[in-house]
Amino acid sequence: MSKITKSSTAEYFAKNLQQVGFSSPLKAVLTTLKEAVDNSLDACEQAGILPEIKVEIKRVGTGSTKNTDLVKIVVEDNGPGIDPDDLAKVFGEYLASSKFGRGQCSRGQQGIGISAATTWAQLTNAKGAFVMTKTVNMRKAVKGQVDVDIKSNTGILRNKESVDWDKKSGVRVEFAFDGRIQLNGDGGLLTYLDGTVLVNPHLTLDYKLLDNDWVHIDRVSNIVPELPEATLPHPHTFKLGEFITHSTLFGKINLDKFLKSGFSRVTDQSLKEFTTKGLSKSLLGKPLTALKDEDFKNIFKAVQDTELMAPSTKSVLTVGEEALSKSIQRLGQVDFFSVVTRKPTICDFKPVVVEVALARFINRNTEADEPVQLLRFANRVPLQFDKSGCAITWAIESVNWKNYGLVQPKGSLPLGPYVFAVSIVSPFIKFKNASKETIDASEELVEEIRRALMQAGQKLSSHIRKEQKEADLERKLAHIEQFAPILVESLVRITKSNESRKKKAEEGLKKLLGRDSDEAHADLEQAHAKLSAQKERDAKKLGITEETSEASVEVAEENVKAAGTKKQATKKVAETTKKK
Amino acid sequence: MAKLIKIREHNIDIPKEAKVIAEKMLSDLEKSKRPVLEAVKTSLDNSFYNPKVGFLAPGDKVVRTELNVSSVQKLARVVFMLEILLRNLDIGSVNTKRELYYICKGLIKGEKKYKPLDFEDQNESDAIIDFIGDMLRVYREELNCFANDRGGQTYSQQLVVTETLADGDRATVDLSTLGTAPYQPKNKPQSLKLKVKKKVDFCLIVESEGTANTLQTMGFTKRNNCILMGAQGVPSNAVRGWSKLIQDELEVPMYFFGDLDAYTLQNIFRTLKAGSAASLIRNADFSAPEVKFLGVLPEDVKKYDLPHYKVKESDPAEARALKKAKDALENDPFFLDKKNKGLADILRWLIKEKIRCEQQSFFSVDPKDPIKTEKIILEKIKNKSYV
Repeated sequence: MSKITKSSTAEYFAKNLQQVGFSSPLKAVLTTLKEAVDNSLDACEQAGILPEIKVEIKRVGTGSTKNTDLVKIVVEDNGPGIDPDDLAKVFGEYLASSKFGRGQCSRGQQGIGISAATTWAQLTNAKGAFVMTKTVNMRKAVKGQVDVDIKSNTGILRNKESVDWDKKSGVRVEFAFDGRIQLNGDGGLLTYLDGTVLVNPHLTLDYKLLDNDWVHIDRVSNIVPELPEATLPHPHTFKLGEFITHSTLFGKINLDKFLKSGFSRVTDQSLKEFTTKGLSKSLLGKPLTALKDEDFKNIFKAVQDTELMAPSTKSVLTVGEEALSKSIQRLGQVDFFSVVTRKPTICDFKPVVVEVALARFINRNTEADEPVQLLRFANRVPLQFDKSGCAITWAIESVNWKNYGLVQPKGSLPLGPYVFAVSIVSPFIKFKNASKETIDASEELVEEIRRALMQAGQKLSSHIRKEQKEADLERKLAHIEQFAPILVESLVRITKSNESRKKKAEEGLKKLLGRDSDEAHADLEQAHAKLSAQKERDAKKLGITEETSEASVEVAEENVKAAGTKKQATKKVAETTKKK
Repeated sequence: MAKLIKIREHNIDIPKEAKVIAEKMLSDLEKSKRPVLEAVKTSLDNSFYNPKVGFLAPGDKVVRTELNVSSVQKLARVVFMLEILLRNLDIGSVNTKRELYYICKGLIKGEKKYKPLDFEDQNESDAIIDFIGDMLRVYREELNCFANDRGGQTYSQQLVVTETLADGDRATVDLSTLGTAPYQPKNKPQSLKLKVKKKVDFCLIVESEGTANTLQTMGFTKRNNCILMGAQGVPSNAVRGWSKLIQDELEVPMYFFGDLDAYTLQNIFRTLKAGSAASLIRNADFSAPEVKFLGVLPEDVKKYDLPHYKVKESDPAEARALKKAKDALENDPFFLDKKNKGLADILRWLIKEKIRCEQQSFFSVDPKDPIKTEKIILEKIKNKSYV
């Protein structure tokens, strides 16, 4: 018989790094960046610091494995810093986390990610993470190299030294490992950075990718999002085993007290109802330690069979429509956009909030027959792989976007130069895998996302419709200019008429079509005015005031009035606008 | 070169008529009045059936196109195409619709300002040509625009055809000299003169060109003093004009032999006998009202125990044909007229029974006798088993 051995958590992950986002050189770069940035953002948020993050990624040589480059990633933040004693734990030990199972909407949860990044660097380049840290209490920063001791799942800090760092506090982490760099597309680094910028309006980001220049993006919000306190777990989200384990945290208290203080939505009334569902009253007064497994089974069953109030939605946080509207402008020149933040709701007994931002950009994703660019977020972390299996993608595909003026092949993403950003925040997001790439699609969740999308679609369609009308009118005007002369010339040739008849007919035609074109002109002006008025309103809502914006609002609104009442007046306004 | 072919005795002088229309448009424009073009409305709701003449004729409805922002493109295209057609008539040049499409492309390429007129595909230019025909109430052939018409392959031991060619020469074809090769009138049946060497007893038009050829090969025209023609599906203008010519010049009984189904009765036979709603202007010269429906008749199915099929309503084409048949019984003036009650009854029978039976099923009656189909056809003619 072969010998049964026990392996450490680190050993397991070292052999199965593909499960946590290191399945290819391409993903390795993105996942490392993601883990480092997620940690920085979470740390800043917890300390109430407005984050300033610097990212630098470059190729520094060829990789040790085939077809890879040696890639260096540096992420530096202004967060609270890590106590030097914790450095080895944070970067070199699996499942060492301050956030595990707390029921909060933080980005990181289990404490796997950054240790996996260290392991990957160690496996491919024989060196773990180079870290520098400084907390406010330290005069000098501490730096060193953290490796994972895979056999024992512990981190080792090597070459520790004190250095000067002109920063109040913060962490700088540097990895060098085998990878491949992709900037654009679904799995691209830029796509990740764009996404992170979008859902973190309070983030100031500087980045330098490869040989490109440094890019600086300022924050558009000075409010550090406050992570809502975790609420107590709802008993309907538990399995029997979890239920029993949960009870051991409460020591010797009585069952009724445990049920009321260990869970949310359990009241005295609920306790009464439990008894009607088969829980014997005598058990309620017993201490937990006196309960047998069989008792737990009965208690659990009675609790599951009783209807309870849905869990509270207080534990979720949103970016908010205003912040999202400002943040989206940071991704490029926006033509128009619409944002929707839904009210928090309950899906599958878990609080969830869905936010959607749809935008058309002027110089981005300009191919009209390409699918829209989709940015998916779970707890404000961009999801970049395996989009086809994700609840968000399913929801988008289930909406009929043709109703909102977009082109959409049957059962697919709509087409056009748009960015669709959908963010889901929940303390308990059900992912399909440990690398958190896709959200599992339950019917309730897909329906909630769908509703948000449809609301955003309605807002978007008013823009698109106006543009279509505008284009239609313009086409009509062009028609007159193009076809009228051809018509007269052909008629003159067929009838062998002279120049003077031609002139007369041309004048007559001009008068005729002039009447048509006057009407068309007036309609066009009206459409123009309405659209610009709408755009101005949007801009006002965002608080973005350009130098000319006030003047143009006046003209635009004047146009609306004029076009609505008297066509002649519109012409005058149009003329004066031209003169301006 | 002289005008190629005279299609009919028609008192319209097309170039003159076109100039009148152009003159009216121009003078309207001079007066700042919106010019209007009117064309015959070619649709079923403007079709009238007079049992005395036997074909679908146009009613009073017209399609009016008035100049405005939306129609200016169409009017410019109509006048542009009209000029090309008038030039063709003037110099005696002929073209197909496809060729005209490319002629337009060539002219547009040579002149930058014509660019907006450009046709995206042939459907667009075809629609303009059709509109001009309906507007002037003339056939496309009269505008020197010919089609490569299919069908009409004809066999006979008695028929002699004389064709007047464009240059005035004459060509004479004795069909008995052609063996199993057919004579085909193509797109100009009206320029032909017919003569028979011996009295012809009947003319048989077979829906399937293949079956017509089988009958010929097995000696049908040798044993019978007749004219045998293959229609090759829905009759083209050539088949329709050719049938009309045979009917009028030779005054022989005419029979149509085809499948028993709604499509054949409605689209193929009705078009051959009375023309179609889409070709209201030409029906007078392109239909043979005397032609009888020889079969397959509903009674033949029973009498000869013919193999037949259930109409598959899951098949979109067959379901459409059935729906069209129901519409026809309600709206088609041809089937509504009591003169054609017998044909309407067959249509009703088909809708009720939901079966179809093919012309070739006669070959199942006596599989060992290669001329059994011929025998049945003759027997049916003799017994007046037709509608």
